[in-house]
Amino acid sequence: MNFRKLVPFTVAAAIALAACGTATPTAAPTSAPAATAAPAATTAPAATAAPEATATTAATSAPAAAQVSNPPKTADEVDSMDLTGKNVQVLFWHRYSGSSISKVMEIVNDFNTKNPYGITVKLEQAGANYQDVYNKINAAIQGGGDLPALTIAYQNQAATYRGQNVMVDLTPFIQSKKYGLSADDLKDFYPYFLKSDKAPQFNNEILGWPTQRSMEVLYSNLDWLKQLGATEPPKTLKEFEDLACKASDKAKGTYGWIWKNDASDFASLVFAYGGELMKPDGSAYDFNNQAAVDALTTIQRMFKNGCAVELPKSEAYGEQNRFANGKLLFVTSSSSGLPYYASTINKVDKPFQWTITMHPQADPASPKVDLYGASWSVLKTTPEQELGAWLFMKFFTEKDNTAAWATTSNYMVVRQSAAQTAIDNVKASKSFAKFPEAAAAYGDLYKWIQYGAVEAPVAGYDPVRSLIQDMVTKVGVKGDGDPKAALDEAVKQANDLLAEFAPKK
Amino acid sequence: MTATKIAPSKVSASRSRAIREALLAYGLLSPALLLFLGFTVFPLIFGLVISLYNWRTGPTDFIGLANYARALQPDSEMWRALGATVAYSLLSVPIQLFIALVLAYLLFQKIRGKSFFRVALFLPYVTSTVASAAVWARLYSPDIGVINQVLHFFGIQPLQWLLEDKGIFTMIASGLGVTLPAGVTGPSLALVSIVIYTTWVFVGYDMTIFLAGLGNIPAELYEVAKIDGAGGWALFRHITLPLLSPTTFFLSLITIIGTFKAFNHIWVMTRGDNGTTTASILIYRQLYEFQRAGYAAALAFMLFTVILIVTILQNRVAGRQVNY
Repeated sequence: MNFRKLVPFTVAAAIALAACGTATPTAAPTSAPAATAAPAATTAPAATAAPEATATTAATSAPAAAQVSNPPKTADEVDSMDLTGKNVQVLFWHRYSGSSISKVMEIVNDFNTKNPYGITVKLEQAGANYQDVYNKINAAIQGGGDLPALTIAYQNQAATYRGQNVMVDLTPFIQSKKYGLSADDLKDFYPYFLKSDKAPQFNNEILGWPTQRSMEVLYSNLDWLKQLGATEPPKTLKEFEDLACKASDKAKGTYGWIWKNDASDFASLVFAYGGELMKPDGSAYDFNNQAAVDALTTIQRMFKNGCAVELPKSEAYGEQNRFANGKLLFVTSSSSGLPYYASTINKVDKPFQWTITMHPQADPASPKVDLYGASWSVLKTTPEQELGAWLFMKFFTEKDNTAAWATTSNYMVVRQSAAQTAIDNVKASKSFAKFPEAAAAYGDLYKWIQYGAVEAPVAGYDPVRSLIQDMVTKVGVKGDGDPKAALDEAVKQANDLLAEFAPKK
Repeated sequence: MTATKIAPSKVSASRSRAIREALLAYGLLSPALLLFLGFTVFPLIFGLVISLYNWRTGPTDFIGLANYARALQPDSEMWRALGATVAYSLLSVPIQLFIALVLAYLLFQKIRGKSFFRVALFLPYVTSTVASAAVWARLYSPDIGVINQVLHFFGIQPLQWLLEDKGIFTMIASGLGVTLPAGVTGPSLALVSIVIYTTWVFVGYDMTIFLAGLGNIPAELYEVAKIDGAGGWALFRHITLPLLSPTTFFLSLITIIGTFKAFNHIWVMTRGDNGTTTASILIYRQLYEFQRAGYAAALAFMLFTVILIVTILQNRVAGRQVNY
């Protein structure tokens, strides 16, 4: 074929298609909303109110045979639905593997057998980690493919999906008299966990349901600490830095702390200095505050003094191996890593005593800890599937199930009534038989929830995390630049991204 | 001139046979044609359409060539990525082809164990890139990697390898107590480390193709030259190299294109950090991290254009040196 003829043809066809594209409206929902005009999602009336406060009032209104919007906008709409005999299928895209997926499957099977509506939950592993699932959902949105009814997502990822109008606000489901939660049930959930799923960019719509949470904590090698003359893990950042430097010996390849290219490590340090990453209303990033400068300066100083080492990005969880092999005194990481640390340290030639404690603080009298965790979110499919997904999440977070799930995964339970069961189970676990202090420390996590702080539950936080990681590596690790100037520039770029990802009016 | 009259029935039969043959031909072609249209032409055109939009997870605004204009801004990340890509290509291709040619020439001789060496050198090419890149990344690890342990054993200062963003010229000059200006820092040590890995992977494949090329050179030419008193170097310089030029040309073409498209091992080893954000890595990050599908598509078309121009230039310049 004559290539010269093909080129103009291709360009002409592309331009013609482009011209057609401008007239094409954005994809309509697969199921058209009912004739009764529902209020726009961003102005959902009950969204700003806490679920605790509205659950009882919603219960007084009797369900009418109203037409159901997709997604349902009111508790009455949810109440009017009947799933019996409809064989509702709920596809769940997740990232679980190993013992975690076995436990999830067990609970799914239990739900599929016991639920009176004939709902069937189907599990599908959408990737090995949260990023894989996020990419797959975005690809499905982009390609116009079928979305699952349920997925796992961090709050910022859920906000990003909401920006594409594919996310379901759970408020009407929670408030539903027939399918929702009672006021007592809601009170049983840790209030902070429920609060963390409210999206500030979308009038505090509830875009996820907490099935698990964890916290950034300090892992310490207790035997090594004793050799260094410390009787307990550091409580202050000053003690932490001093001990880290004391433990470091480049010739022996031992270091006090590791930078593992994780923005949450930086966020935790900012929180520990009393700062924040963004304004509480989600309107702007402000991690160029004094606390952030102190955090970045601390990292810079630790690297300059040879007290810390950088983990190559190619070595996922390489910090666990280094810690288990006595190469690292401290690791700041998620409490959900507990079973993995126990398992790795159990396998080394010379196991040692270790534990987790609260992330060291600038002022231990007013601590602030990074509390995070992916929630489960319902995507827009059909109202019936959305309700099915909600009922499954509700079942999954019942007292016994959340305790069983926490015992297997070492995440935290989401109900206060289940905490003691999970704590007892972890203490009795074989994995922790040699590490009683670490097992006991799991219980402490629940005492620290009150000090929890959230990173940035807004759309577009993922690229901002990359931005923070690159900035910390450049300025903190390599010592290339002034911390304040670097933070100012990073905040500027982060706010540009916030605007780029912001919901379109 | 006399016109031969053909009976109308014969014309009709001939035409219908031609139609049947054409239909048969199109029928036989259609599966491949449909696949080509569906999986090559359509995505290409659709990609072009996407590049004209502010496309995130779907089309929002038609912005014409704005994505291309953005990429062409003087301070655009595309220039840095293209610079890294060109550096990677310029380092990789000559080293790779030179070593492959030397190895092929050695293994073409009558030496013991040549089959073993051929297989051993080819193995990295058939090994999973992701797996071997992960292993190499571990070897390069500054604190627990074997390479630094070996350097330490010989009393040499350990290096940061994949974590090093300094240019190698700067590092060498700094070792000699010289300070270089900012413009001549050279490729980062991280990029050079990746080049070493790339050479290890692809040299076996290149060598195999060179061996095939060497096998096609008539033995009589060597015999005649030897009778005329030609030595080893003269044989290589005046017979092997010229007659191997089609193979060298082919290999340089696919290797350059390969280096411009390289992604997997770079992603596994550095995620594009420390001066290793090549064009492919930039496109991936723009698409998946920043969800800028329109901009990523524009970058992809620009990379395609660059590869096309490089290939055409290579054809024009190097093609003249090829002896078929």
